[in-house]
Amino acid sequence: MKKTMKTLCGILRLMLAGCVIGLALPSRVAAEVSDADFNALKETVQKLGEQVQNLQQSNIVQQQTHAQDLQQIQQLQQKLTETQQIATNAEQKSIEASMTQPMPRQPIDEATVNHNFMMMGDAEFQYAKIAGQHGAFLQADFAPIFLYRGGDNILFEAGFDTTLANNAPGSGGYTTTFNLSFAQLDYVMNDYMTFAGGELILPLGTYTERGAGWLNKIPDNPLAVDALLPGTGLGVELRGGIPVGNAGESLNYEVYVVNGPGSSDTTGTSGAAGNLDLGGNVGVLSDGSTVANLHGHPSGGARLGFFVPFKPHYDLEVGVSGQSGEWDDAGNHLWSAGVLDAALHLGASFEAKGEYIATRYGSDDIGTHYQQGWFVQAGYKLAGLDLELPLINNLEIVGRYDSLHGIYDSADNAFDFKTRRYTVGYVYYFTNTLLFEGDYEFLNSNDPSQADQFILQLSLGF
Amino acid sequence: MKTSKPLKVLVQTTFAAAVATVMLGGLASTTLFSAETNSVAAPPKTDPAPASTNSAAVNAKAPEAEQPVLKHQLTGAELYSMHCNRCHPERYPTERTAAQWKTIMLHMQVRANIPGDQARLILQYLQDNSGR
Ligand code: HEC
Repeated sequence: MKKTMKTLCGILRLMLAGCVIGLALPSRVAAEVSDADFNALKETVQKLGEQVQNLQQSNIVQQQTHAQDLQQIQQLQQKLTETQQIATNAEQKSIEASMTQPMPRQPIDEATVNHNFMMMGDAEFQYAKIAGQHGAFLQADFAPIFLYRGGDNILFEAGFDTTLANNAPGSGGYTTTFNLSFAQLDYVMNDYMTFAGGELILPLGTYTERGAGWLNKIPDNPLAVDALLPGTGLGVELRGGIPVGNAGESLNYEVYVVNGPGSSDTTGTSGAAGNLDLGGNVGVLSDGSTVANLHGHPSGGARLGFFVPFKPHYDLEVGVSGQSGEWDDAGNHLWSAGVLDAALHLGASFEAKGEYIATRYGSDDIGTHYQQGWFVQAGYKLAGLDLELPLINNLEIVGRYDSLHGIYDSADNAFDFKTRRYTVGYVYYFTNTLLFEGDYEFLNSNDPSQADQFILQLSLGF
Repeated sequence: MKTSKPLKVLVQTTFAAAVATVMLGGLASTTLFSAETNSVAAPPKTDPAPASTNSAAVNAKAPEAEQPVLKHQLTGAELYSMHCNRCHPERYPTERTAAQWKTIMLHMQVRANIPGDQARLILQYLQDNSGR
């Protein structure tokens, strides 16, 4: 714009200059020009002058508009940058919100594993100080799990548990135990059903199946889980999950038949309550007679669960499970259990879960025994507070209440054994699989051998 | 036996519920897919290929037919963040190789009763982001 104006002005100036030169030329030339011609030329020159003025004026106006335009463009650019910044901020915030609080990662150790054969598991050791005793390193535990995958839908999984623990006060030394925790062959029949056979972890509640060292936020198990449930059983199982909604909801189920609890009776006749062998797989008589198996009838059991995710990290799972079967043929005595379980997650930082467990079994000597117990456990990861402090961010505060009421005495209509326990503690996550836990347990029991204790545990999942 | 009614009822109810579930599960492979297809494809009766059991294809057609009830297909990443830190601290995709994830996912699918189609999506996500 400016350039063309300048050239135009230049040309006009040249022309004007030409005219002036023409006027100033000697009279020899003037003589040749008539008045009329002169006047016409003068008029033209005047007009040209006016035009030049006009052009100059419009040029000024245009320059002003241009300046205004520039200002507006600058303002718009500024606004755009602001909007972009707001957008990136929002995006970043939404990404941050949707992400789990990141935990330090465990390095990959490629060389230790093959393609379809893997070893993993957990290891831990504990230090404990029981009220009235000296503190001591209590136990060391190594629990490897072996997985063998044969094709797309066959998996063999077996878990071992090697524990070295100090003997109870009064007996010296320590004891090493080596247990087969589970060993099962899984055949995934279709998307909704898997067949499993072997030494199965029983789905009575979910704690037993999900309680491996680095999974559990408190070093010891709820009293009722340890005291009332068999844990594992030798048998067969059908299990699976069926999607029931669009948001990831699913029904999950297990149905199984296992040998179930047996009798440790040595005579083959008595169904005394004390003979119940929860973990007893076959209840073979210990006098060596394998024919007089006191366990002619397997137990059956099942769990039905409903998993409802609201969005990532927000979900609720509830389940009901039970098992029943004869533990002692001789007396036709049944052992039965019923369990209710629930687990809730509200965000990446908060978790609560609990179970109610009730069992009952018949006996010759003291009739029917009832036992029951429950636990609720909650954890809050301090990373949820957004404090940006590395040490605090790796901490989780945990609490648990659990109770066990055992051996119902129908004579005085009360439980002979009552324990309530309150546990408070923390989990410090060195990484997502290396956990350092500390807990204090307050015990409230009618059994004097139950005492408060303080436990520290380091556990590693691999 | 006389004083044991509530527990007995509980056990019986559990059994009944479980048996029902197993029957559902048994029928699932044959009926569930077609039921899903129907629920999405039935309202727009113009859909010429209701026999298709490919739910993704059905979903893709839904918007064209101006079907308001869209079935949002959860992604592998979403399913991963729904499942993989509810029983234990999150295990990151980079911790294992693609081949290892195949074995571990089978383990977790069985342990957590994750429906097969969801497990496949999660496996894909883990392998896409695996530590090699
Ligand atoms: C129902 C609870 C549950 C859910 C959900 C779950 N896991 Fe696990 N996971 C376990 C248990 C229990 C173990 C410990 C091993 C065992 O006891 O078999 C484990 C162990 C692991 C391990 C250690 C190696 C191993 O196989 O033992 C990895 C890795 C793992 N899980 C990844 C995942 C991923 C990825 C997901 C998401 C699909 C997931 N888990 C979901 C229960 C669960």
